[in-house]
Formats: sequence, C-alpha cells, structure tokens
Amino acid sequence: MTDTPGPKVPVTVLTGYLGAGKTTLLNRILSEQHGRKYAVVINEFGELGVDNDLVVDTDEEVFEMNNGCICCTVRGDLIRIVGGLMKRRDRFDGIIIETTGLANPAPVAQTFFVDDTVRDRTRLDAIITVVDARHLPQRLEDSHEAADQIAFADVIVLNKIDLVTPDELEAVAAAVRLRNPFAKIHHATRGNVPIAELLDQGAFDLDRVLAGHPDFLGADSHEHNEDVRSLSFEVETPIDPERFNAWIGALLAERGGDLLRTKGILSYAGEDRRFAFQAVHMIADGDFIGPWKPGEPRSSRIVFIGRNLNRPQLRRGFESCQAA
Amino acid sequence: MSATVAADHILQTRGVSHQLGAYVVGTAFARGGATCAFALGDGTLHVAPRAGGGWRRVAVHDGAALALAADAGPAGYLSGGDDGRFRLVGEDAADIATFGMKWVEHVASFTDSKSRLLACAVGRQVHLFNGDGKQLKTLDHPSSVTGLLFDAKGKRIVASHYNGASLWFVAARTDSPRRLEWKGSHTGIAISPDGDSVVTAMQENALHGWRLNDGQHLRMTGYPGKTRALSFTRNGKWLATSGADAIVLWPFFGGGPTNKSPTELAGGDGVICTLVAAHPQQDVVAAGFADGLVVLADIAAARILPVCGPGRGPVSALAWSADGGQLAFGTETGFAALVNFSKQD
Repeated sequence: MTDTPGPKVPVTVLTGYLGAGKTTLLNRILSEQHGRKYAVVINEFGELGVDNDLVVDTDEEVFEMNNGCICCTVRGDLIRIVGGLMKRRDRFDGIIIETTGLANPAPVAQTFFVDDTVRDRTRLDAIITVVDARHLPQRLEDSHEAADQIAFADVIVLNKIDLVTPDELEAVAAAVRLRNPFAKIHHATRGNVPIAELLDQGAFDLDRVLAGHPDFLGADSHEHNEDVRSLSFEVETPIDPERFNAWIGALLAERGGDLLRTKGILSYAGEDRRFAFQAVHMIADGDFIGPWKPGEPRSSRIVFIGRNLNRPQLRRGFESCQAA
Repeated sequence: MSATVAADHILQTRGVSHQLGAYVVGTAFARGGATCAFALGDGTLHVAPRAGGGWRRVAVHDGAALALAADAGPAGYLSGGDDGRFRLVGEDAADIATFGMKWVEHVASFTDSKSRLLACAVGRQVHLFNGDGKQLKTLDHPSSVTGLLFDAKGKRIVASHYNGASLWFVAARTDSPRRLEWKGSHTGIAISPDGDSVVTAMQENALHGWRLNDGQHLRMTGYPGKTRALSFTRNGKWLATSGADAIVLWPFFGGGPTNKSPTELAGGDGVICTLVAAHPQQDVVAAGFADGLVVLADIAAARILPVCGPGRGPVSALAWSADGGQLAFGTETGFAALVNFSKQD
C-alpha cells in the first residue's frame, strides 16, 4: 500500500540506428504545439534544436540484475533519473527517453518491469523505433542492434522514404514485418508522423497487448536462424493455466536470451475474462483483462519475436497447454 | 477521540508544520543548531528557526532540489539541484560550483576543529572542496555515484556505485581509492561510527557490507522493497533501515549482522517504511512510512511512540538535530514539520 500521488507518468522510448533520424523526430515532437510538456532524457546533448527546460543528459549505465537471469539487464541511470523527475512531477506530462543509436532496447524496457519505484510512478507507453528506409538492409546485415530495435518496437517510423524507390520501400517494409508483425508502421520523410500516432499509445498496457491484431500468416520458419524472426500460434481449445505457466516459465528461463518479446491473449478454461501476457526476455507480466466480447471466437494467440525460433517445438509446447 | 487525533498528539502539542506545496526532497539542521531547512522539488529551501517564528523561503534551484546537507559552517546549507548547481544557502543562495546539464545528486560536509570539507556527486565524479568552497580535487568512479558520505572523523569519503563502493582518503596525495567490490547496482551507503563497516543498499532489495579490517563481506537480505535509508545508531550497535513494512534493525555486535535475524519494530500494518533516522545520542530511531505515519521507536524497550498520523503523503525527508532535541520531516505531497522533544515547561 503506497500512497502514490497522481496517475502514472507515460514514458516513450525512442530508438533507432545511427543516422536513422531519431533526433529529427524528437525535435518535431518537441516543437509541435500540442500543449504538453515532456521531460526528455538524451545521451548526445547538443543535437537537440529545441529549447526545453526539462532536458536531462545521461550516460547509459546498464547493469545485470543479481537474480540469476543473465539477460536481465537494467538501466540504472534511468532509475535515478525517474526518481529525480518525480520530485517535480507537476512540471511535465510525460517522459521521452532517447537511446543511443547502438543501444539494445531490452535494458530500457526491462527497467520498467524490474524496478518497483519506476513501476509505481511510471508506465512504459511505447517503444518507437526510427528506421532509415534506405540503409536498413545494410544495417540488418552488419549489426544485431538494428534487428533488436525493430523487434522491440511498438511503433516503427520507416523514415527517409523519399530516398528509395517504391520497390525498395516494399522490400524494406516486408523486412520489418518479418521481424515484427505487431508494430504499427508509419512511412515518413524527415520524421513527419502525426504526434497522436507516436505518443499515448498504451502499447505496454496488458489490455492492449495484441490490439494491433498482427497478421497470422506467419513468416517462413528458419530454424537456427541468427536473424530476428516472429512466429505466432493460435489454438481453439481453452488453455489450462497451470500447464501454460509451467511451459512458458521453463521456456523463458531456458530460451529467454533469444526470445526478445513474447505477447499473448489467452482463453483460460472456465474463465470469461481474457488473460493477457507479455514478456521482455525472461521478465514476464500477465493479468486478466476485460471479458471476451459476445460472439467473439475464444481462441488463444501467442506471438514470439526472437532468434533461433523453433517452430515445431514452440507449436507443440503451446498446444500442450490446452486443457484436457 | 479518534485514532488519527491520538497519532497526531505529539505533532499538535509539540510540532510546527506547514504545507509547502512541493515534494520535500530533504531536511537538515544547520550545524550551529539555530535552524532547520526543507529542500523542495520546486527548487526552494524553507528555513525554520528552531526557537519558533516564521519560516523563510529562499529560491535556490531552477528546477528541483535533489540533495540537502548542513554546510560545514555554523549557519548555512549545501544544496544540489537538477539545474547543475551546487549551492551554499545562507541569507541567499550562491554557487559553489556549476556543472551545466548534469545533476548534482548528493552533497555532504564535514567539520571539526581542524578542517572543513564540502563534497558533491555529479554523475561519476565526486568533487571535494574546502570550507570556503575552493575545489580541492575531483574523484572519478567507474559509474554514477549513488551515495556519498564522510566518515565520522572526516578522514575518508565513501561513495557507492555499480559493483561496489569506493573509499578515498581525503588528504591522500595520490588518489587511488580502496575499492570495495560486489557485483550489482548499489544505490545508497552508510559507514559505521567507528569507521570499520561500510554498508550499501542494493537494487535487489538487499544490503551488502564490508568489514574493512578483515575484508569480510556482510550480507543482509529479506526486504520486500528497496532500502532507501541506512542509519547507524550513535554507538554503532544497530543499523536501522527502511524498505520493509517495519523498521528493520541489524545487530552489529555479537557476531552480527551476518547470520543474525534483524529486530523489527513498528510493523504489522503492511505499510512500507520509507525512511529511518537514528537518534544522535540514544538507542532510538525515527521512522517515516509510505502512508505518512512518523514514529519513534525505542530499540531496547521495543516501544513505539507515534509522532504524526498517516494521511499527509509518503514520508520523503527525515532528520534529527545534532542534540537530538528536535525532529524534522517532510512528505512527497509537501507537508513539512518540526517537532520539539526537549523538556517543556
């Protein structure tokens, strides 16, 4: 029981490879007349072209939690900064965190799951990834981080589309979809995406976990593929919660390093409410959300984004969770 | 008579309080003892005369105050803010040093008959000054400093950070610290009155300690939340801590604290203790809770005396005067109080 004053502060994380146009997008967000004030956490001071009295300059400081989970890394600097910003809570409406171009987004996301103070005071609204339409194919070739940033995104700004042909744009959009079927994709030049499409997305709210209704066509199954892929499964029979917990717990513990993000909406046997589930690597969160709509098919869906995804194994695992 | 009235009895009969309108970041008493001050999230400092009378408001930071300590001199205060300023606040506020965009997150001072020292932590660096505000040296750390203290004699300064803590001799010619290592994120620090034990709070809801003479590690676990406040009693027998739904006291005697159970006081209602402050002279601890409750706990008698009832916001600042006669506290919602425990006519 904590007597926490006021509602939770929404936090938007802005990622993107070097030169993708992150700072341009950030400047657009800040200069637009939306009547809101944002505290902005940046790493490369000097590039920001907008006067904002709430710019915080930080060094990304990642550390490993001592909880037996090797991929559970957290941004300690953000924990301190969020704590500091809460002392002047009335001065801003939201927080925007810009990560460095080479950053893996996992530690930022995990910070919002792991730290109690941050969880109590803020909510991760969405991860926005800015992608350079022209250079993405090359980035995906030569770096892990570019694919990770796409995999973690809730919103993807496919930027600089004026520099590619329609065919190239289609190919690059397909490459993004292959790695992340549930992100919203916006095409842009110089980051010209309406602010309403970027902020207040509620993408990490459990009741909006699969709101985007990713297409379940499914990608090709590339077993032992080092590149990031997504796989999704759907079953009609209700799920046995105990079986699901045992399976997903063991799966995340064993394969959490490869599983970047996992999201699911489950129909539990004998339960009228939908169960929403999400995980970032090994850190999972789940709760009942609103009831199934009348007439809505009560199928359970789960989506994995990660590396080395074994389709038959994951399918068998998920299917084994069905109530007998 | 309702329970709330009873819980507020001491506040009402012995306290002076104000609603200051912003998050109370810290409170401290001036070394000379004439005033106490509250630093706020709106960047102001409110100075309360202990003898009574109106509280004085001083504009200090363009932004939030982040840290407050008594100055090494008798009357003033040291304040650090998210405007990058390390300031001395007397009648007015004046810069000791400025750090641009960086936050000044921790401040500390030391004084005795021979020396006066000031320090502040900014990112990975600790800056050390003499009592006149002249910079003496800068101490570099491997990651951001999360806690900063002088030892009881002012000979050493200790700082917590990732993977441990650093212990520096203030007067050393070559600045190579003793590194106290333990993997993980350390978020706060305390040093025992005899200077032999350093204890840090950790991200994983645990404490870690080092006994300096034999290098032994000390491990104190079992907290439901993060420990924000660590406070040794005057004689060093007990380390009082926050982070549980009680005041948790670790015994630093009889072979403790490792493998000893801590003593828990003022628990039972499921509300997290946010701050503790050991009395400067007796085995008594003041504690503040997340619902606004403030109590005193007598360790030996295990007796609890309510000072201020719940309902005024999570307690976010708590400090004793050096003589132990007065207690100051403040909350996240801007409530601030000064309570007099000395004998009254």
